[in-house]
Amino acid sequence: MAVVEVDNLRYRYPRQTTLALDGISFTAEAGEFIGIVGPNLSGKSTLCHALIGLVPHFYKGAIGGRVVVAGLDVHATPVAEMSRRVGLVFQNPFTQITGAKLTVYEEVAFGLEYTGVPREEMVPRIEEALRLLGLWELRDRSPFALSGGQMQRLAIASVLAMKPQVLVLDEPTSQLDPSGTREVFEAVAALCRQGITVIMAEHKIELLAEHADRLLVLHQGRLVADGTPRDVLSRAVRGELENEPAPAPPVTEAAAALGWTMPEGGFPVTLDEAVAVGRAVMAGDSGADSR
Amino acid sequence: MRVSLYVPADTWLHRLDPMTKLLMAAAGVALTFVLARIESGAVLWAIFFTVLGTGRVLRQAGSVFAGVGIIAATFLIVQGLVHPTNATPLIILGPVVFYKEGLLIGLRLALRLYNILSATLVLVLATNPADLTEALVRRGAPARLGYVIMSVLQIIPTMVAQSAAIADAQRSRGMETEGSLWVRVKAFLPLMGPLVTSSLIATEERALALEVRGFGSSARPTFLKPEVRPPHAGLVRIMCVLTLAAGVAGRLLLGW
Amino acid sequence: MSAQRKTSPWSMQFSTLTIVLIPVAIGINYVGKLIAAALKLPLWLDSIGTVLAAMLAGPWVGAISGAANNVIFGLTADPISFWYLITSIAIGFVVGYLAFTGWVSSFGRAVALGFIVGIVATVVSTPINVILWEGQTGNVWGDALYAYLVGNGWPIWLASFLDELVVDIPDKLATVIVSYLILRALPERLASLFAGGRDQVERL
Repeated sequence: MAVVEVDNLRYRYPRQTTLALDGISFTAEAGEFIGIVGPNLSGKSTLCHALIGLVPHFYKGAIGGRVVVAGLDVHATPVAEMSRRVGLVFQNPFTQITGAKLTVYEEVAFGLEYTGVPREEMVPRIEEALRLLGLWELRDRSPFALSGGQMQRLAIASVLAMKPQVLVLDEPTSQLDPSGTREVFEAVAALCRQGITVIMAEHKIELLAEHADRLLVLHQGRLVADGTPRDVLSRAVRGELENEPAPAPPVTEAAAALGWTMPEGGFPVTLDEAVAVGRAVMAGDSGADSR
Repeated sequence: MRVSLYVPADTWLHRLDPMTKLLMAAAGVALTFVLARIESGAVLWAIFFTVLGTGRVLRQAGSVFAGVGIIAATFLIVQGLVHPTNATPLIILGPVVFYKEGLLIGLRLALRLYNILSATLVLVLATNPADLTEALVRRGAPARLGYVIMSVLQIIPTMVAQSAAIADAQRSRGMETEGSLWVRVKAFLPLMGPLVTSSLIATEERALALEVRGFGSSARPTFLKPEVRPPHAGLVRIMCVLTLAAGVAGRLLLGW
Repeated sequence: MSAQRKTSPWSMQFSTLTIVLIPVAIGINYVGKLIAAALKLPLWLDSIGTVLAAMLAGPWVGAISGAANNVIFGLTADPISFWYLITSIAIGFVVGYLAFTGWVSSFGRAVALGFIVGIVATVVSTPINVILWEGQTGNVWGDALYAYLVGNGWPIWLASFLDELVVDIPDKLATVIVSYLILRALPERLASLFAGGRDQVERL
């Protein structure tokens, strides 16, 4: 059964005339890793906000269609209630720290305290979340004393302690260096393996190509492609997508230029795949010559 | 840069729970207004000195006292010079005459200032603001108020650091911050504007981040830390009530 | 599609956004006071945050920002500020209500608002000064005037009122003008996010 069901979602911000989201429909299963790609202002953040109800409850404006996440109708459920089923992690690690807690450990407790989780349940949940994100040793530090990557992992741990079924991340690595980015992707991939559905808006297409099960491509608020990274990126390099919204990784571009295709169709999207295909093509070349 | 005056230590005063210290402060402020005579005000201040001293925060209290010294001096000077009941000249410095009646009123005002300060400092110097906030929320204060207090204590050092950075940047662009009054007035907006604008813009992201952490929840909050009340808290509470009662009785019956 | 509802400025619905505004307002108050002191200005300028919060989010948020400001500083750094709680609350209410009724629509009106706030602050602070300190304010300029007036036989109440007035009018005038200029410089989007907090969600 689908954990996330979005059906013909349309949304317009207050005092605007154009739709920020225009007829979006897709579903996501438990444990699936979905990447959302598209140029700036294509609606990626708005879609992320719509999955937990910040759109429309926080921003107001006008909404249409249906969003059901973990069995709750998002348009009829307060964000505080949704926050127990869906976690959302934002771009900027700094503004996600509540600023009301003195240590990493207490910071993770914030959401649990506000939603009234009993103390006996809080303690194991905090420890589990901190260990999962590799922050247990840093639990007594001030949240503001962490590096960007650590702070972003703290933001993930904080929403994870709420035991969400779905984790939404809105460009979580855009303000991080390469090592911070890798930390976040590895942490998120581990959560996926535990059955949490991950939906991540991200510009770093190479990393999404490697980790995501599916890619959604947004363009001007509309969903222009939905498929496996290979399918979507192969179409992108062939110029089949509207206005080339998602640049494909260089390795896919190169493979397309060389005409290297995967045995099951489409172009390779990671370096490993490209190397494998390349070897096969090289080996096959001699065979082709002898024909 | 710290906003709170809290001085961490391990004394009988620090170990008391925040509500007991709140009661001490409240009783102290009440006594300041109950007691009318200068002598009783001085006795009250002596009690505060003992409490602050045994709580090992007298040095910090002293710097707060010195900070309002000018205000206390103004009370003495102005009231000594011009209070309407002035009749008996006490100190004559050429054309300037200080009167006994006004000086006594000024002294009473200064004592009142120091007693109000001392009562509050008993709470403020020896209580972690986080613990006080949590104690209040446990007793039914809105959890959102708790957030506001804690957030202020963290936001102010951050904003002060940012304002220092902005001041450096503006000075390096040649902005003058010294000279005539008009030059200094003109410097205010470029120093203040960028900081205020950026911190107001950041409210949107912070509000979003709190929303997804269940901040808007109407559930009664729970607390990570269990509440502890030390054994001597009960005794201190009884002493507070008795002292206040003695003060009221003394004022009514003996004119303290 | 329904038309935009005109809501009362006295609505007591507090969104997370308005709650987050309160500590920021208090921080702005503090930094304003700090910068004014660093520049050796003869003004306090310690209520810019309260005034901005009231302009953005209405009288209740303004009043609560003012109250929280004095309670927090009273309990942490400056015990005397606790007693001027009522003055801060009054500033928040007055600015919040008048801002909703169009008093920040132009520079000229903002100047007038500054005068009004100065007078309100004086009216509210005077009884506190009289009760606590026989009418003095602790400000050197104001107290010099006070000493002169009382020395010449003026009643304490009136001397105290004028003592506070000569300090408060320039201070609140400057505070409201600075707040007005900052408000104008804020992105339209942010101002409407605060203003629209109580709007209904429409269906498409």
